[in-house]
Amino acid sequence: MRIRELIALSVILLAGTLQAQEIELPTDPLNGRIVFEEKKCIACHMIGGYGGTAGPDLSRDQYFGSALELASVIWNHAPQMNRKFRLLRMDRPQLTEGEMLDLLGFLYYLRYLGEPGSVANGRSVLNSKGCIACHAVGGQGGTTGPDFKTIQRYSAPLYLVQAMWNHGPAMQEQITKGKMKYPMLSGRDVVDIAAYLRQASTADVEVRLSVGNPKRGRELFDEKRCSTCHVGEGKRKRIEAGLVKIDLKKGVTEVASAMWNHGQLMLQHMQKESIEWPRFDKNEMADIIAYVYFLGFEDKEGNSERGKVTFNEKGCVSCHGGGQGKGPDLRSVKKMNTPVRMIQLMWNHAGDMEDMLVTQNKRWPELSLTEMRDLYSYLRKVSKN
Amino acid sequence: MEIKRRDFLKFFGGVSGAVLFGNLDDVIAVPEELLERAKNGPKIETWQNTICGLCPAGCGLRVRLIDGIPVSIKGNPVYPVNRGGLCPLGLNALHSLYHPDRLKGPMKRTGAIGSGKWDSMSWDEALTMVKDRLLDLRNAGKAHEVAFLGNEENGLMKEHIRRFMQVYGSPNYYQFSSAQNNTVPYSLLHGHSTVPAYDILNARLVVSFGANFLEEGYSPIYYTKLYSHHEEQRTRYVQIESRLSLTAGNADQWIPIRPGTYGALALGLAYILIREELYDKGFVRDHSFGFEDRVDSSGTRQVGFKNMVLGNYYPEKVEELTGVPSSTILRLGRELGNTGPALVMGDQGTVDNTNGTFAAMAVHSLNALLGNFEKKGGLFFVDDPPFTKSGVAGIDAIARAGLGQIPIGQPNASTFPVTQFSIESFTRNILDGSPYPISVLFLYGGNPLFQSPNHRELADALRKIPLVISLDTLLNETSEHAHIVLPDHHFMERWDEVSNVGTVGFTHVGIQHPVVSPLYDTKQSGDVFMNLAKRIGGSVARAFQFDSYEHELRNALKGVYLSGTGSIVSEGVGTMWIQYLQQRGWQIGQYDSFDEFWDRLVKQGGWWNPIRKQKRWDQVFQTRSNRFEFFSQKLKEAIDTLVAQQGKTGSAQNRERILNELNISARGDNVFLPHHEPVRYDPDMPLHLITFRVLPVRDGQGASLPMMQEMFGHAIHRHWESWVEIHPETAASYRITDGQWVLVQSTMGTIRARAKTTEGIMPNVIAVPFGLGHTSMGRYAKGHGTNPNVIMKNLYDMVSGKPALQATKVKISPAA
Repeated sequence: MRIRELIALSVILLAGTLQAQEIELPTDPLNGRIVFEEKKCIACHMIGGYGGTAGPDLSRDQYFGSALELASVIWNHAPQMNRKFRLLRMDRPQLTEGEMLDLLGFLYYLRYLGEPGSVANGRSVLNSKGCIACHAVGGQGGTTGPDFKTIQRYSAPLYLVQAMWNHGPAMQEQITKGKMKYPMLSGRDVVDIAAYLRQASTADVEVRLSVGNPKRGRELFDEKRCSTCHVGEGKRKRIEAGLVKIDLKKGVTEVASAMWNHGQLMLQHMQKESIEWPRFDKNEMADIIAYVYFLGFEDKEGNSERGKVTFNEKGCVSCHGGGQGKGPDLRSVKKMNTPVRMIQLMWNHAGDMEDMLVTQNKRWPELSLTEMRDLYSYLRKVSKN
Repeated sequence: MEIKRRDFLKFFGGVSGAVLFGNLDDVIAVPEELLERAKNGPKIETWQNTICGLCPAGCGLRVRLIDGIPVSIKGNPVYPVNRGGLCPLGLNALHSLYHPDRLKGPMKRTGAIGSGKWDSMSWDEALTMVKDRLLDLRNAGKAHEVAFLGNEENGLMKEHIRRFMQVYGSPNYYQFSSAQNNTVPYSLLHGHSTVPAYDILNARLVVSFGANFLEEGYSPIYYTKLYSHHEEQRTRYVQIESRLSLTAGNADQWIPIRPGTYGALALGLAYILIREELYDKGFVRDHSFGFEDRVDSSGTRQVGFKNMVLGNYYPEKVEELTGVPSSTILRLGRELGNTGPALVMGDQGTVDNTNGTFAAMAVHSLNALLGNFEKKGGLFFVDDPPFTKSGVAGIDAIARAGLGQIPIGQPNASTFPVTQFSIESFTRNILDGSPYPISVLFLYGGNPLFQSPNHRELADALRKIPLVISLDTLLNETSEHAHIVLPDHHFMERWDEVSNVGTVGFTHVGIQHPVVSPLYDTKQSGDVFMNLAKRIGGSVARAFQFDSYEHELRNALKGVYLSGTGSIVSEGVGTMWIQYLQQRGWQIGQYDSFDEFWDRLVKQGGWWNPIRKQKRWDQVFQTRSNRFEFFSQKLKEAIDTLVAQQGKTGSAQNRERILNELNISARGDNVFLPHHEPVRYDPDMPLHLITFRVLPVRDGQGASLPMMQEMFGHAIHRHWESWVEIHPETAASYRITDGQWVLVQSTMGTIRARAKTTEGIMPNVIAVPFGLGHTSMGRYAKGHGTNPNVIMKNLYDMVSGKPALQATKVKISPAA
């Protein structure tokens, strides 16, 4: 299990480095909230209980995915959305490429933020994981570690994981010495523990974290020598076999928990390789995870041959294939060098296109994720980049 | 200077380009250096955000600059207090920056008061002179003879001044603005003086007792923005007021009422809620004190609010007192009880009378009956900004002795039992030299002489003080009495913050920063006090650890940075995002260092946190009972103390005498319950005189700007002049016609203005706008209109000491 998780994490890192990066790493992945509000998406769509109800809640899992997955979802329900616009007498917002990137990135990063924890669950998890064998809460519990009432009030669960991570080697030593079981964290454990500790702490000031900066995370990834194992050419191969994709539908804390869970194995491995245990300060863990998280935003390479078939079969060619088509020849569009460019063009002309299809008694051409990927590969290949 | 309206408007049409193209008049005065830059610069446009300083509302501004010269202003769309909105005054703030009569450097008066004879002096000369006097007094053990009369400063500047006065050794730091007096009703009911914020956005019914919140409130633009959602929110507004104010005009219903009877009407509504059991029984039972009758520890039966109301405030009796039909009282009471959430507000009309505290308590008791505390659509208390706490200042023996003296503003034994300051007491004590003379007075902002009803006595008091020092940007009626003027920067030239404006529903800090370098030889007053402290030396100097007010400000904001709460104001950071992220332990914004945070803070204009900490009930109500006190134990304790000080503890005669001296007519337990106190008007005067403030001029300072004079009475086409609003029936009975010059006479004097007949005022009430009638404050303010406060009687709220601006009655006649 531990090996699987270790491997699982590294595959994301690997995937990101193997594939040419087309989408620039953001510095603030939540910048898109500005687009979300300014373009009035919020008037119809709710996120985590806030916003309008005319459209679906975008924080639900089915609206999560890579840029092209999101594009597929949005494209396929464009006619439905257009009907809502007309019903509510709203203008269909037009988006620039930058705005589209920000918006998709924002929707993607909603999972990263996680969910609020439960104080009651946190208390029972703390007991069941054996934490109070070493740590006390207000005098009740062990004395090896600090009393949780006296530690900083960590509002961000990730801060707690970071603190645990930093004293991981010492903790592992105590665990080994005390013949205790290494506490594995799953699901929402850390979030709930953090919620419990937050209300238990008597500290005046709450310590919060900023949402990670993927760009900075990329730099830290090297600085902290994560890349020694996870992306280094020779060693990477050693841990490559049997990789499975880590589930990025989970929040940042759950990703961090996965890191924690493989800490024991990692420590052994690092000791063997004489590598120093990486410690994280301030926002560093959030940044690194934001970087890791970002790698799932970019899509796998599509098949341009199949893309050409899609372009023809879905009827794109009838308008956008040059010659007598009403629309511009998509194959001659300049700078189709990111999927976001294609998505932005599709979104902006979806209104006019629907009008035309209605008048011509044609169906809306739905596109699956694979078809989106293939279509993009095709258009990128034939466009004048 | 004579300005014809047409000429002015003609000029003003081109004023936005005037700075750039040299089309200048003496309406604005731009220094030569800026003019040269304007003519020859590359015309590069930039925008900077700051906070308006022309009134305490603290709206965010966006200033447009060409080559670094401010040329126009609009609201900062991301600043949550005003969300891009601005009042006329804010929109014309540049005129105050370029005002031709701005103080251009330190001066000392060389002629009689008002003679206009001043000599320039250097800052070093001025500060040395002030320091020498302060040091002399301190060395002589007379530090307490220094007083400071501020106005509406808050946040860091207030703390800065308080610190200076404390370490220097004077207990006499006051604010003229009545800020302390305004909060007395709340302190009696809640046990603390925090002014609550009202969630009118989420209320379904808002009943306002004289609170002209769209025009005269703490932050009119903030409430205007909230009010603008009333149609989509389906909120019904009911305005109870003697005059059809801007708020009444925008309400769904206006209920005219006799001045001085707002409390009686509130109790009439309480009667309906109690009688028909429409009140929040759970809240009243669990979180209030004094609702039911009870037997105290001595075995005495004490009357509760419920039976006091049921016995005294039935609708027909309330109709007699207020002039509001009993059917209206019945209907509104039932509407309040059956609409949720329903919110009640009270201000200006309610509090500006001799019975203001009791009236405000009565109005606010309705919120308790409706269980409105800390709930959506109700009212709540905003958390303080998480500023870095300044350390405890070391106080030496001289300061300790000075601070131990009786404060000069403290009311004497038989007035204002629960307040530490009243302008009346302050004035009276200085005139009497009791308990000691005042040797030095600092005046900071405001214009007490123009704004207070007892201006003659206050003028006499100012004349009596050997050294008066004014810190302001323009000379006004009050600072004309100063011996030395230390000119302050304009708010666009200085560092400061404006935080937690009263009644605004979230924690916030707006940053003022120098949008433009100082145009003249002025200084930030915060720096002036630091400089004086350094010159005085010793523990006074040590109390100020930073070398400038800017650095002190930066240090204060480090606490905000470290708290990780809230967000720097920016696009797309609404309440929902902050809440969404905070619930998950995230903070908004990524800052590698405080410097990075600070740069962005200054650039954006401020920080805010709409998420309130959850409060326990003993934090909401900090009374002795830790409950909302219908029966105010604090007031009882204060009056019992006064009685005890008079001789035999608790004797009936002493109590009777004290209550008579306080002009309180209620007896028994009713004294400590919200009740209606009749106002003692002049029996020979037939008409109530009320005043109101309009947005362009506010507390009178806007009158210094020509555009504001132009807009003063824009709704009724009156410009640069005052008017008297009078009901047509009343006008007819005095044979007065619309537009006619009339004389308004009280026992204190007479003013002259044109009549404006309108149905928007109760019969037998006349209203005069406040703000004009200056004898100073620059060329545009002087000599226009009339100041109604000149004929106000020296009357004050009997409990809080707040000036009673609606307690004067007058007669009116056509002018010859």
